[in-house]
Amino acid sequence: MISRTELTATVRGEVLTLLPERALFWKMQGTLFIADPHWGKAATFRAGGIPVPSGTTDESIARLDALLDRTSADRIIFLGDLLHAREGRSNEMFASLALWREARSKVDLILVRGNHDKSAGDPPAQLRIQCEDAPYSMMPFVLDHHPRPHRDGYVLAGHVHPGIRIYGAGRQRERLPCFYFGKDVAILPAFGDFTGLADVGLAEGDRVYAIADSTVLQIV
Amino acid sequence: MATIKKVAVAEKWFHANGWSPFSFQREVWDAYLAGESGLIHAATGTGKTLAAWWAPLLEYLQEASPPVRGELNNRTRTARAARKSSLPLRVLWITPLRALAGDTTGALLQPVVNLDLPWSVETRTGDTSSAERSRQTRRLPSTLVTTPESLSLFLSRSDASSQFADLRLVVVDEWHELLGTKRGVQTQLALSRLRAMCPNLRTWGLSATIGNLDDALSALLGKAQSRQKSRIVHGVEPKQIIVDSLIPPVIERFPWAGHLGTQMVPQVVEAIEEGQTSIVFTNTRSQTEIWYQAILAYRPDWAGTIALHHGSLDRKAREWVEEGLRTATLRCVVATSSLDLGVDFSPVDRVLQIGSPKGIARLTQRAGRSGHRPGAPSRVTCVPTHTLELIEVAAARDGLQSGSIESRYPVTRPLDVLAQHIVTIAVGEGFIPSELLCEVRDTDAYSDLPDDEWQWVLGFISNGGNALRGYPEYSKVVEDASGRWKVEDKSIAFRHRMSIGTIVSDAHIVVQYLRGARLGSVEESFVARLTHGDRFVFAGKPLEFIRVRDMVAWVRRAPNATGAIPRWMGSRLPLSGELAAALRDRLGEAGRGEYRDPEMKAIEPILEVQRKWSHIPGPNEFLIERVQSREGHHLFFFPFEGRLVHEGLAALLAYRLSRIQPITFSMSANDYGFELLSADDAPLEEALLHGLIDPAGLAEDIPASLNATEMARRQFREIARVAGLVFPGFPRSGKTARQLQASSGLFFDVFQRYDAGNMLLTQAHREVLERQLERTRLGTTLHRISAAKVVITNPKRTPPLAFPLLIDRTRDRLSSEKLADRIRRMQRVLERAAG
Repeated sequence: MISRTELTATVRGEVLTLLPERALFWKMQGTLFIADPHWGKAATFRAGGIPVPSGTTDESIARLDALLDRTSADRIIFLGDLLHAREGRSNEMFASLALWREARSKVDLILVRGNHDKSAGDPPAQLRIQCEDAPYSMMPFVLDHHPRPHRDGYVLAGHVHPGIRIYGAGRQRERLPCFYFGKDVAILPAFGDFTGLADVGLAEGDRVYAIADSTVLQIV
Repeated sequence: MATIKKVAVAEKWFHANGWSPFSFQREVWDAYLAGESGLIHAATGTGKTLAAWWAPLLEYLQEASPPVRGELNNRTRTARAARKSSLPLRVLWITPLRALAGDTTGALLQPVVNLDLPWSVETRTGDTSSAERSRQTRRLPSTLVTTPESLSLFLSRSDASSQFADLRLVVVDEWHELLGTKRGVQTQLALSRLRAMCPNLRTWGLSATIGNLDDALSALLGKAQSRQKSRIVHGVEPKQIIVDSLIPPVIERFPWAGHLGTQMVPQVVEAIEEGQTSIVFTNTRSQTEIWYQAILAYRPDWAGTIALHHGSLDRKAREWVEEGLRTATLRCVVATSSLDLGVDFSPVDRVLQIGSPKGIARLTQRAGRSGHRPGAPSRVTCVPTHTLELIEVAAARDGLQSGSIESRYPVTRPLDVLAQHIVTIAVGEGFIPSELLCEVRDTDAYSDLPDDEWQWVLGFISNGGNALRGYPEYSKVVEDASGRWKVEDKSIAFRHRMSIGTIVSDAHIVVQYLRGARLGSVEESFVARLTHGDRFVFAGKPLEFIRVRDMVAWVRRAPNATGAIPRWMGSRLPLSGELAAALRDRLGEAGRGEYRDPEMKAIEPILEVQRKWSHIPGPNEFLIERVQSREGHHLFFFPFEGRLVHEGLAALLAYRLSRIQPITFSMSANDYGFELLSADDAPLEEALLHGLIDPAGLAEDIPASLNATEMARRQFREIARVAGLVFPGFPRSGKTARQLQASSGLFFDVFQRYDAGNMLLTQAHREVLERQLERTRLGTTLHRISAAKVVITNPKRTPPLAFPLLIDRTRDRLSSEKLADRIRRMQRVLERAAG
C-alpha cells in the first residue's frame, strides 16, 4: 500500500518510490534500497566510554517493519555502512536483529559493502545477509556505497548522508535529509537515526526530494 | 606587626626597585602569615602580584631563617639550574590565560633571583614543551604558574596527593575573569580538592574591582574556608579615566550609512601617530584581523612596526608581540581581550577601543592599559563602527562618573563540569563517593547540590545514568574491590586527559605553512568550508589553503589579502545592564531634544531621522515599529536591555503571537531591541490585547518558548563538550577517535528521544534561562515595558534604530506551522518570485 504522501522518481525508465522512512522502493522488483543504517553506532560510543542511550537500533528495526508492511517488498538491499564499527558489534543488538530476522525470514537481505563495513566486518551468518563488494550490478542500476558514476548503469549510492537547505520568505530556512538524483548517480538519505547531514551540491537538471517529517517533497 | 620579622627584607627589595610597599600589601602579608585567606582587588598595575607573592616569600624567610643570604644581587639564573636544590611545591599560581603565564613567572622570579632564594618558579600550560613536562613529572618546582585546565590535569595524576603535600598557598590571578564562567567552577572544584589534600592551605584571589566582591570571595574560598578568618583587601584606587571618541567627520543622515566599518582608519592612524606605542582593542578576533589589514593598507610603510594579538595565534607570535610592547619597538598592536589582562606594558600611552566597549568595567580595564606615568590619567578613545555606538560611549562615560560597575555572577551547579571533574579524579587517584561529595558540596557552586543530581552524575559516568535501561556495555568509571571508583580503561583515560577543560569551541585546527612556522589555530568549521586554493586572512597574513591533514591546515603565503576572515564562536558580548540603563537615559534626553557632549551632538542628525520617520522612545515608552519589505512583515521592538535579554524576549513574544495563528518567525536581536520577521502579517494588536507583554504567565511561557526554539540545543554544544560527549580531534587520534565523533546536536536529539530524563538536557534549559536570558533581567524588563506606554509606528522605510536589526544575519526561528506546510509555503513563495 502506497499512500498519497509518497512521491515517485523515474530513472532510466524505472519508477522508484521515495519513502519518508528514508528508503527507496523499486516496485517492479519488490526491492527496498536503504543506505547507511550505521547499526551499532551508539554501542560503539558506549564501548568508548561515551554514554549514548540505546534505542536507536530498535527504532531502526521498527522503521524496517513499517517499510515492509507498507510495500510488501521481498528484498532489501543495503547500500553500505550497515554496521558502524567493530567495537559496536554488541550481542544485545545482534540478538534484537536476529529476532527481527526470524519474524521476517522470507525477505532477501543483501549488503553492498561500504567503507565502515570493511573495518566493522560482515554481519553474523545467523542474520542471513548476503554480502557483496561494491559495485553490484542490478540492471539498469549499479549499486554502490560511494556515489561515483559507473558506465554499466545508473548508480544508487549512500555514504554522504545528504541534506538540503531550503530558504523562504521572511528569511526562513530549513535543513532536511533528502534524496538526490543527479545525471548518473542517486544518493539516498542515511537510514540510521544517530547520523548527521552533509549538504549536497546541485548541478543543472539534478532533482532533490526532502523529507519533512512524514512527507516527501520535491524541492528541485 | 610582630608577626613579620623579616619584613625589612621585603622593604629593602622594594626600595632597591625604587618603590616602597603600599599599606594594602603589608595588610596582605600580615593576614597571610596569620593564616588568613582573602581577595585583593585593585586596578591593573598597582602591585597586586607583589602583595600576594611576598607573603609566601616572607613566610619562607621567617621559617628558614637562612643565613643572611638576603643580600640583593643582580644575577640572572635559569630556572633549571635552581631546581635541583629548590624547595618542593609550595605555591600554585593560577592564571586564566596561558599567555599570561610567562610574564607572571618572570615577575615572580625577580625577587627570588635577587635574594638568591632556593626557590624555582616554572610555568605549566598547554604551551609547555614535552621535555619540561616530563621534568615536572619527576619533581614539581617550588612555585608553579598554571591554568585551571593544567591544574585539573595534575589532579588526574595517580600521585597527586604526594606532589601537593607541601602546598601552602594557591593564588588565583584575575579571579574576576574566571568567576562568571564554567572555568571558574572548574577552579572551585580543583581548589576544594587541594584543600582536602592540604588542610592548612591558604587561598588568595587577585581581582579587578567588580560589583559583587563578596560573592567573589565566597566562591573563591568555599564553605569551610569562608568560616575561617578571611578578608577582602582594597588596593590602590584607579586613576582618573578619560573617555573620548573619534567622531566621524561626516555623519550621513541616512541610516544605512550608519555602518562605518573601517571608514575611520585615517582618524585611527592619526591617533596612533600621536602616541609612542598604542593598543587598538577590538571586540572580536575577526575584527582584529580586519583592522590590522585596514591599517596596514592605509600605511604600508608601517609593516613590521604594527602587529596583532589574539588568543588563537601561536604562542611564539604572541610572545614576540608582548616583547615588542614592553620594549616599545612596536608602534601599535591590534588586540582582543587577550591583552586586557596581565602585567604592564609601560610604554603604552595610547589606547583605542574599536566598537562599543559593552561594559563599564571592561572600558575601565582597557583604559588602564595607558598612561603609566605617575599622575597621568588613563585615557581611552572610542572608535565607533556604527554611528549609534556613539550613544553607548556617552552612556559609558555617564556610568563611569556615577561609579556604577558591573557584577560577575558565579555559575551554579553545572553538572557537565561536575561530571568532568569526577572523571578527572577517577583517572587519577580514584575516589570514595561519600568523601568526594563532601568536597564537592564545600564549593560555592555546588553547596546546594541535591542528592538526586549527585546520584545522577555518578550514574552518568558509571552506567549511563538511567539505571533501568538504556546504556548496555557502557562503563567509564568502575568501582574496585575496596570501594574506590576509578577509570581503568587506558584509552578512556587518555581521551579524558586530552579533552579536560571547559573552554568551549569547535575542534581547533592548527594553521601552518607547508614548510615552516605554525601561525595559530582556527575552528574546524571554518576550515571545513575551504577548498584547495581558497584564500583567507589569518594572523595578519594573506594565505592560500592547500589541505587538511592530521588536524593541521597546511597553507602557503598568498600574494595579496583577499578572501574570508575566520570567525570564532562566542565572540559577541552583550551590553551590560548598567550600560543599557545609562543608554536609555541618553535616548530620553535626545527625545526631549537635548544633545549634550560631542558624541550626542554628532549623532543628532540620525536621531532626528528616527524622530521624523518613527519616534524616539522616552524612558516611559516602549517603541514597536512595523515595517513591510520585500522580505516580509517586520516587527521591531526596542526595550534597550542588551542582546541576551532581547533573545529571550523575542522567543517569548514570538511564542505568544504564534498561539493566535499558525505562523513562522525568524528572529534577530541586538543590544537595542529585537525583530520578528514573518511572511504574513502578525496579529500584533490582537496579541497586545491578550497580554503580549504581560508579566503574568511568564513562568509557563518562557520554558514553552525556549522549547520552540533551538536555544537549548545550541546551549548543549558547550555541555556536550564539557561533559565529555564530544571531544576535540587531536593529532594521532586515528580511526577509533573518528568513529567516536558526533555533533552535539545529534547527542541532544538522541537524548531527547531515548533518555529524556538525562539531566544534561535539563541543564541546557536551565543555562539558557539563567545565563543566556538572565531570567531576572527578563522579568524586570517585562515589568518595565508592560508599565510603559506602548508606541506603535508604521514607518514606510526602516528607521535608523531598526536598521542594524534588519541586516543581522544571525537568526533564530519559532514556528507554529507543520514542517511540511512550512516547506510548501516557502516553495510557493519561491515559485512566485521566479515566475
